[in-house]
Amino acid sequence: MPSWIGQAFRRGILTSRFPRAPASREEVPETSRPPVLPPGLERIAVLGRAADDCPTGAITADGLYHGRCIRCARCTRQGFTFGGRALANASRPEDLYSPGGGPLPERLGPAPLAGLGRSLQLFLVDAGSCLACNREVLALANPYYDAARLGITFVNSPHHADVLVVVGIPTRPILEPLRRAYEALPGPKAVLAIGACALEGGLFRGNPGTQAPLYETLPVDLFVPGCPPSPLDILAGVLTLAGRMKCLPGVPA
Amino acid sequence: MTGERSLSYLPQDRSFALFTDHLARQSVRGSVAELTGQDLRVARNWRSSVTEPWVLELGEEVEGYGTFRFPYGPFSMGVPEAGTFEIVTYGERILEVLPGFGQKPRGILGSLPGLPLEDAALRVERLAGPYSASHASAFLFATEAAAGTPLPSLEAHVRAVAQELQRVYNHLHVLARLAEAASQNVGQAQTHALAEDLLRLASRHFGHRWLFGALLPRGPSRHLEPSDRSGLARSLSGLGARFEALWELFQGSRTFVDRLQGTGRVTRSQAVMWGAVGPVLRASGVPWDDRLRDPSPPYRDLFLPLAHQSEGDALARTLVRVEEVRSSLLLLEQLLDRWPGGGTIDPAPAVAPGRGLARCEAPSGDLVWDVRVRDGKVLEAGFRSPSQANWPLFALACRQSVFTDFHFTLESFGLSFAETDG
Repeated sequence: MPSWIGQAFRRGILTSRFPRAPASREEVPETSRPPVLPPGLERIAVLGRAADDCPTGAITADGLYHGRCIRCARCTRQGFTFGGRALANASRPEDLYSPGGGPLPERLGPAPLAGLGRSLQLFLVDAGSCLACNREVLALANPYYDAARLGITFVNSPHHADVLVVVGIPTRPILEPLRRAYEALPGPKAVLAIGACALEGGLFRGNPGTQAPLYETLPVDLFVPGCPPSPLDILAGVLTLAGRMKCLPGVPA
Repeated sequence: MTGERSLSYLPQDRSFALFTDHLARQSVRGSVAELTGQDLRVARNWRSSVTEPWVLELGEEVEGYGTFRFPYGPFSMGVPEAGTFEIVTYGERILEVLPGFGQKPRGILGSLPGLPLEDAALRVERLAGPYSASHASAFLFATEAAAGTPLPSLEAHVRAVAQELQRVYNHLHVLARLAEAASQNVGQAQTHALAEDLLRLASRHFGHRWLFGALLPRGPSRHLEPSDRSGLARSLSGLGARFEALWELFQGSRTFVDRLQGTGRVTRSQAVMWGAVGPVLRASGVPWDDRLRDPSPPYRDLFLPLAHQSEGDALARTLVRVEEVRSSLLLLEQLLDRWPGGGTIDPAPAVAPGRGLARCEAPSGDLVWDVRVRDGKVLEAGFRSPSQANWPLFALACRQSVFTDFHFTLESFGLSFAETDG
């Protein structure tokens, strides 16, 4: 006689060991990690070629702006490689700029919610996304990531939330609801911007009807770059806000 | 939260339904050649066309003692997407649902003209992330048809594999959402875990969890060598076995089945008249699938059992999706087994001027892209997504149901706002 309990036991424990142990390669795939320019290459020539090819203007002749990168992999043909450190520690847009295209400096992000202990409620807000970021955020509830084990849950109203998780490029009709949702959060509160669209608008920056970047509308506390970032990057961002990331999210073993 | 603003959207929503009705009827009945580009342009410009008075006259107002409008959205965790619903009700029964579009106008379609095909394809993929393989395939097929480039059979094969992977993922996602709505917590968690397995397979073999860029010439590198393919086939057969075990439990759960049975019914005549597509159409007794009518390889050469049901309720749609998970896994097995030799994996960019139209069976139904190209650049583009076709059917199916049925109806349709707000 098959049963739900038997089924659950047969699958065994799927849950990631992050943040106790570094994430595995399977959990943080290469393409969710930022491109870096390996040392030893002709930097100026490579940056110049890659800048011509970059569809979002993330790569310029001087360096790489991680906030705009959508991981399209075109620059890998010019010498860039995927596999930089997964970042969840940038509180200002300029923190995401790396001159010369090398890896970003390592530092811990801000922790505005450090006083909240082990409980953190998230409210997801879609400002104009393609749904990939939405599903990666909600994937935190699935058994592989199981954010509930860390006291992180999703709530149905901004009145009950500590963190406003924003995905997608802000569009004009959504700006006012966005502001009102932010006001509805009780303090202390934080805003987490997920994905290239919520950072700088990604591929859609400047399109009519949109109003990127998000940080001009809301005070963003932490940026999680990626297109979309992997669920563990998002989890690392949430934990950083709560001051519970003692080290940076490690590069997979 | 957005009461006043949504009300001002009311006439547009109705006209949108009428437009999609008109378009979808043609696309279901007609052939590829009969669906003209002009209709697609109408679909694209529906926002500006709503000022046409004839459209407004066709709408009817639901009124009566004690009725009021209940605004829902744009931010709610029940529908984790920016879209609003105006629910006309007198307390418990839903008299009318008016989905509000236009909450996320990202201007994607408007930004395509003038872009090189590859840059345009990056934007097309991000129209709706979970359906990116279908959108990218249809867009690329259309540009290739426009330029008259013969397609290497290997590339068509790879696109089919990507699309079937995403179909299985999306159907599992719908099943998980239904399980969540029916409070089947173990089932929901286990189904979400299966869906996550598929995302990881996509990541391992196509270089991206959501297949962004994976079908483009210069995207992330693919891993589809013979050993990778046998590994993928093994993983998929294990996944199929786990899915069957899970579905047996869902079938045995009276809570789950009772909740779906009779919910959100779409009759056969409604489905045909309003031009439903995809699982909604097939669950209402119309056995239609674009893949079966595809005259080109690889689908032409493969065995594809067609899932269909006649009840038209949420249970029928779920059964169709379950059958399609099985048939997609079967298709994947065949696709991986009969791998075409040779052929370049990078299709040549389309240079010759022309216009092409291509359709794909996306996870939630028939998807059409119409593209005009010149000098390797997009001149004009339009699309008709399955969500655009099925939203009016959703509004119909919700009539006379109760509030608690809302999520079952919505999730069983598998609709997205992202695909309508290009």
